[in-house]
Amino acid sequence: MRLSQVFLAMIVFFYGVAAAQAHHVLGRPSYSLGEDSNTPPSMQVETQIGDFYVTYMAFPAFPKPNEQGRVNLYASRIDNGLPFDGEVTFKVRDDSWFASKEEILGVQKIDDNVYRQGFIFKSDGSYIVTAEFESGGEPYKIDFPLQIGEPSSVGPIGITIGVLIFVLIIVNVLQRNRRFQLKAQRAHRANNQ
Amino acid sequence: MIMTHPGLPDAWLWLALAVMFLALLKILSIKPKLTNKSRYISVEKIPVVGQIAILFSKSPWPLVILKFVSVGLFLTVIAAGLFGTPIPERNLATTLTWTVWWSGLIITVFFLGSAWCAVCPWDTIASWLVKHRMWKRADPSSSLGLRMPKMWRNTWPALIMFIGLTWLELGVGVTTNPYATAVLSLVMIVMATSYMAVFEGKPFCKYVCPVGRTVGFYSQVSMVELRPKKQDICAECKTLECYHGTEEIEPCPTHLVMGTLTQSTYCTSCSACTMSCPHQNVAWRLRSPASEAIQYARPHWDEAWFMLGLLGLTTFHGITMMEFWEKGLSSFAQVIGDSGQLILSFSLGMAIVFAAPILLYAVLIKIMQLLIPIKVSFKKAFSTLAFISLPLAFVYHIAHNLNHLIRESRGFTNVLLNPLGRDSLPLSSSELHMRHMNPLISEQLLYALQAGLMIFGFWLALQILQKRTLDILNNQFYRRYYLLPGIIFIMSVTAFNLWLLVQPMTMRM
Repeated sequence: MRLSQVFLAMIVFFYGVAAAQAHHVLGRPSYSLGEDSNTPPSMQVETQIGDFYVTYMAFPAFPKPNEQGRVNLYASRIDNGLPFDGEVTFKVRDDSWFASKEEILGVQKIDDNVYRQGFIFKSDGSYIVTAEFESGGEPYKIDFPLQIGEPSSVGPIGITIGVLIFVLIIVNVLQRNRRFQLKAQRAHRANNQ
Repeated sequence: MIMTHPGLPDAWLWLALAVMFLALLKILSIKPKLTNKSRYISVEKIPVVGQIAILFSKSPWPLVILKFVSVGLFLTVIAAGLFGTPIPERNLATTLTWTVWWSGLIITVFFLGSAWCAVCPWDTIASWLVKHRMWKRADPSSSLGLRMPKMWRNTWPALIMFIGLTWLELGVGVTTNPYATAVLSLVMIVMATSYMAVFEGKPFCKYVCPVGRTVGFYSQVSMVELRPKKQDICAECKTLECYHGTEEIEPCPTHLVMGTLTQSTYCTSCSACTMSCPHQNVAWRLRSPASEAIQYARPHWDEAWFMLGLLGLTTFHGITMMEFWEKGLSSFAQVIGDSGQLILSFSLGMAIVFAAPILLYAVLIKIMQLLIPIKVSFKKAFSTLAFISLPLAFVYHIAHNLNHLIRESRGFTNVLLNPLGRDSLPLSSSELHMRHMNPLISEQLLYALQAGLMIFGFWLALQILQKRTLDILNNQFYRRYYLLPGIIFIMSVTAFNLWLLVQPMTMRM
């Protein structure tokens, strides 16, 4: 394998690592503010699953630890717009690679076409709230992101700097080896002459 | 709340169609010339602008200062994306990158060619990291200096990157996610630096960078070019400083020889040639737009795909901002059982829209092969006529971007003053409404620009078609009806893009 191909393979590998660090977001979060109300801004994610359009809203948009918050879930049928009438189970887990522990936040019944679930988190972090319900004998499971406090942003910078240093060091080492080889070859030739 | 921009009014549409019809009659009535003589005006002779051009050509420092500004803004974008508010319209990362830079960049290509590449922060940071030089020629041992493998010396990687970028932009929603925008910026830095550390020259800029190639191909339709002042000086030159560089100045990073340069596609406007030429024979000049695409640029198979890809992706951009796209995607997702962010449905939809114009083009090339009296390979005809897609993609891209730039960039000053968007709230309905109602220029002027651009692109495409068809026929046996498949393609694309402009367009943020 040529040197250039080895390097390209390495580059591809590191991009893969960088991509795996990306935010876990299902649905597109958007932030809104009701102009005619003094409520705090909300974070909203709209998504589609099976026969339903699901809208999830988090209040406040940027919840902090030990602060009371609420998620609202609206689920309406795509074909006729009727709201889903049943029970929704809300669960939560850490949004990290190896987190498996899931806690039940609560089971909610419909209230004015909305499923409301309150929460208080004790520490900063990225969480995934899962809403589960059953309709027509089929289970529905939807994941939504929930950020408590400030997100940790050192990861991407750290990875970038790490990869850059790694590439530059490897290039430097290979260049030194090349120079030594060249010197050795020249010395060898000089000795033979 | 979803706001939409009003589409092009019917009056402008009919006016554009009427002018296009006249343009079509004109092209069918004139006899094609074997060579079109282009007129040039040296930029250096234009007051004020000329002085600035001379300053940039002779000294490296103005460019270095601009590079510092560009890198400063870029690092602020990364900081804002990683540490700022996730509200896209309040964060510098999303507003500067997608609303101002990406929308405005395409417009600047018409006036400045590939000038952006000269101050590109990805390349600048990579150069500083690998070469440890502000502008002077670096020690060759700073990079491994390997030659890019031959199989990758083409624009396929850039096309794949551009498809990927569009997918991230519109499918994953990077445009409304400051964090993802910052991560994407960091990935580009890693890519640019890795390529520069391993390979000689700037193969990332030349073969991989989706922005560089987009700018490069569009600069074929630009009104400026960097060329020798006197061709005979270059013809007699034996030292080729523009290609080899000097002791102080870097050689051309994309291996161009000024004396034989006929297309700007791979020029990064780095000024190395203007500074290294001992005869000071390299300068910017004004030209007839598209003279390069009409006759000077050489056809290549991979480049033809990139140009057609540009066309497919720009049209796709427009489609995704229509209301019918959301509804169609939702129905399609139900049929195939897709859930969540509908990534699978989006990807399939994107593939279909991307492939449609290329398929239509390929079919029409086949028909043309049957019409013409001489035998021409499909590959040659496909590559030669692909230039017609360039002005069509370019003008629609600008017309579409004008909507974003003029209607969505209000309030940018506030974002610039608070780049991280600290303590800011999302746009209220009234703010959204105000932005919507107060574009940067009058709506009628915007419509006039959009209609004018579409006519301009149509006219350029017809001229390219006529000249390139003559090339295929080896300047013999020309008949007007040989143009028919090409005209059908140009009319279909223009009609569809005009229809898209007439539709209300969803506001991005």
